[in-house]
Amino acid sequence: MDFSSTVASQLNAGVILPEGLVIITLMVVLVGDIILGRNASRQLSYVAIAGLLGSVVALYFQWDNSQTIGFLGGFNGDNLSIVFRGTIVLSTAFTILMSIRYIQQSGTALAEFVSILLTATLGAMFLCGANDLVMIFLSLETLSISSYLLTGYTKRDPRSNEAALKYLLIGAASSAIFLYGVSLLYGLSGGEIRLDAIAAQLTDLSSGQSLGVAIALVFAIAGIAFKISAVPFHQWTPDVYEGSPTPVVAFLSVGSKAAGFALAIRLLVTVFGQVTPEWQFIFTALAVLSMILGNVVALAQTSMKRMLAYSSIAQAGFVMIGLVAGSDDGYASMVFYLFIYLFMNLGAFTCVILFSLRTGTDQIAEYSGLYQKDPLLTLALSICLLSLGGIPPLAGFFGKIYLFWVGWQAGLYGLVLLGLVTSVVSIYYYIRVVKMMVVKEPHEMSDTVKNYPPIRWNLPGMRPLQVGLVLSLVATTLAGILSNPLFNLANSSISNSSVFQTASTPVILSESIINRQSLSE
Amino acid sequence: MNLAEGVQIVSFGILAVMMLGAALGVVLLNQIVYSAFLLGGVFMSISGLYILLNADFVAAAQILIYVGAVNVLILFAIMLVNKKEEFKPVRNRWIRQGATALVCVGLLALLSTMVLATPWAVDTTTVNASSTIIQIGKHFFSDFLLPFELASVLLLMAMVGAIILARRDFIPERKATTTEVETALTLPERPRELSGS
Amino acid sequence: MELQLEYFLLLGAALFCIGIYGLVTSRNAVRVLMSVELLLNAVNLNLMGFSNFLDPVEIKGQVFTVFVITVAAAEAAVGLAIILAIYRNRDTIDMEQFNLLKW
Repeated sequence: MDFSSTVASQLNAGVILPEGLVIITLMVVLVGDIILGRNASRQLSYVAIAGLLGSVVALYFQWDNSQTIGFLGGFNGDNLSIVFRGTIVLSTAFTILMSIRYIQQSGTALAEFVSILLTATLGAMFLCGANDLVMIFLSLETLSISSYLLTGYTKRDPRSNEAALKYLLIGAASSAIFLYGVSLLYGLSGGEIRLDAIAAQLTDLSSGQSLGVAIALVFAIAGIAFKISAVPFHQWTPDVYEGSPTPVVAFLSVGSKAAGFALAIRLLVTVFGQVTPEWQFIFTALAVLSMILGNVVALAQTSMKRMLAYSSIAQAGFVMIGLVAGSDDGYASMVFYLFIYLFMNLGAFTCVILFSLRTGTDQIAEYSGLYQKDPLLTLALSICLLSLGGIPPLAGFFGKIYLFWVGWQAGLYGLVLLGLVTSVVSIYYYIRVVKMMVVKEPHEMSDTVKNYPPIRWNLPGMRPLQVGLVLSLVATTLAGILSNPLFNLANSSISNSSVFQTASTPVILSESIINRQSLSE
Repeated sequence: MNLAEGVQIVSFGILAVMMLGAALGVVLLNQIVYSAFLLGGVFMSISGLYILLNADFVAAAQILIYVGAVNVLILFAIMLVNKKEEFKPVRNRWIRQGATALVCVGLLALLSTMVLATPWAVDTTTVNASSTIIQIGKHFFSDFLLPFELASVLLLMAMVGAIILARRDFIPERKATTTEVETALTLPERPRELSGS
Repeated sequence: MELQLEYFLLLGAALFCIGIYGLVTSRNAVRVLMSVELLLNAVNLNLMGFSNFLDPVEIKGQVFTVFVITVAAAEAAVGLAIILAIYRNRDTIDMEQFNLLKW
């Protein structure tokens, strides 16, 4: 049996079918743009959305797949990764919907934007399923490098340049630090790359290894915390959110963050299972700082984009409660919340984009009296913001309740109480915007709103924006009332995932390889 | 101590001193061009260290990619942004530098303690010292196949993106009014100082 | 007396700390980028040391290093493109001047 045939029979390449579809779409967009020229770029972005939806369908058919390990242990397409990959793909599809008009109005090329965005998606998807250190590093860098490029995409604008430069330098430094921690893991495990193999080697911490593991843990957390923008690794967030094109911000705040959380769960639970109390302590500190600083600083913001930036820091703090809880329910609550967060946050960004396209500003004060001019926009933005704040019948409420309930079950009373208090603070600044839009008298309208252009949905590129707006509005409203299916989805993704039965993973893997060999013979 | 080991130790010492000296030069010298050339020195010394570690292929790759591509790219960038620039002095800068230096020395102490305290599971298997290329190639097409393919996408997109960002391009619709020309290729939102207040 | 793994690890740690120092204190954006390259090289030195002393048969560390080199090259290209773009707009590469965005 020669080398190539043994490898080909064991690859199980079907697990990356969704990613394969994304790659094909990427190539179609890139080559199609060269052949068809600039006029076809809008059609190409619809092609990209179709490809992403195809990828979601492929993900659906992989649900409960029995053989999740592909590429000789390099990729693990279990249910947990499927949920996260689905979240990321959906966030990209929404981002493309809202970016068509925005990018054209900024005068830059749309097709390249879409293809870089698809690459970022690809990196994020691989990151969710990455099962060895090389794969983690490479997919993390694919995501990061494409994010730097997207941030600096409007290259004539000094704010965009500056945001890209800051993001690149801080991001490159943090990934180098992460990589140092990863290299220590490779050494401490005696030359192992696969996550479960490393975990098997790191069981004995008594003999002098503990300092090395601690340093590897801290360095790895520094890299992860940068991706999910937890305080004190958040300094880049407000700047990048203000300076980069708004659709990019929407992607970074949902897709990139979901990938960071997927990496956190997989790396911490699998590799650092021996030091669980330590990393839970670090994440408690990060969660406390993020919730306090994110919510308090958001109060003082005058720009809508910056306010959403700080609010996303705070939301990351809430999600970390689920991580600290450390139970199956905890991880399920993270998945559930991230999925809801996808719709409400992207909905809010769609509204911000729509407003800035019509008026050219994103100052909060300029929103006053918008209700008289544009009821649909006001309604959608209000629903999304109230849902982000956690007002009862909306989706965000159920997500938060689940997180807090899980935290309470795990005995994290202080953390949950702090979460409740800071949620109340967050409701204040969300309500402030809503109140400004709705209750103002006609004479208190801002000048921008007075000169509000007539609403025309038939302009090129406005229709997808409208579709995205309505879809996210419906999803945010309905996900609250019909949250049970989502809840079951999140729970089954955790309970069927091999990550949380670490001890049994190697057995399953070797069995699957044996099965494969017997099949090929 | 036999001759081979002596040669190894001596060359390790020389390369280590060269690398550390050049690295310090990269961060401490004022002239950015000297830094760039010293960076090439760092890369070459590291390549020598790789040869001491029985890694011929990676040593060659280090020279080809780092010295041949990255360093040359950095030199080009320095020439493109070649403006005599007096950095305005910032007050209390030395405090920040001193604090950073202290933190770095502390970090070095921590990492050194860790390195010396950890019992590394050294594998004493003697391998026949043939070329490493075959082994690396086998890895690329078996268990590292997926990262290998992903790297191709990454490089493609880095190339496309770098070209987009670095090229000078025409602003579309030259004959549009001046205000529109001004806003082309920028964010649709106005800068804060214009839009606020 | 032979070459020990610890020598290479200490060398890598020293290079890493020099890189961190350069990263924080440099004012020239190009120099910050060079410091990032130093950091990545420190990591490579670690990986190669581990690969030779702990994993001499499979040499997975060497493969990892090749990937790190690839990514470093891509990152340098993107970084320099961004620096060029900002230099065209702002006419400076002094990190202290980049304060349009303030928190």
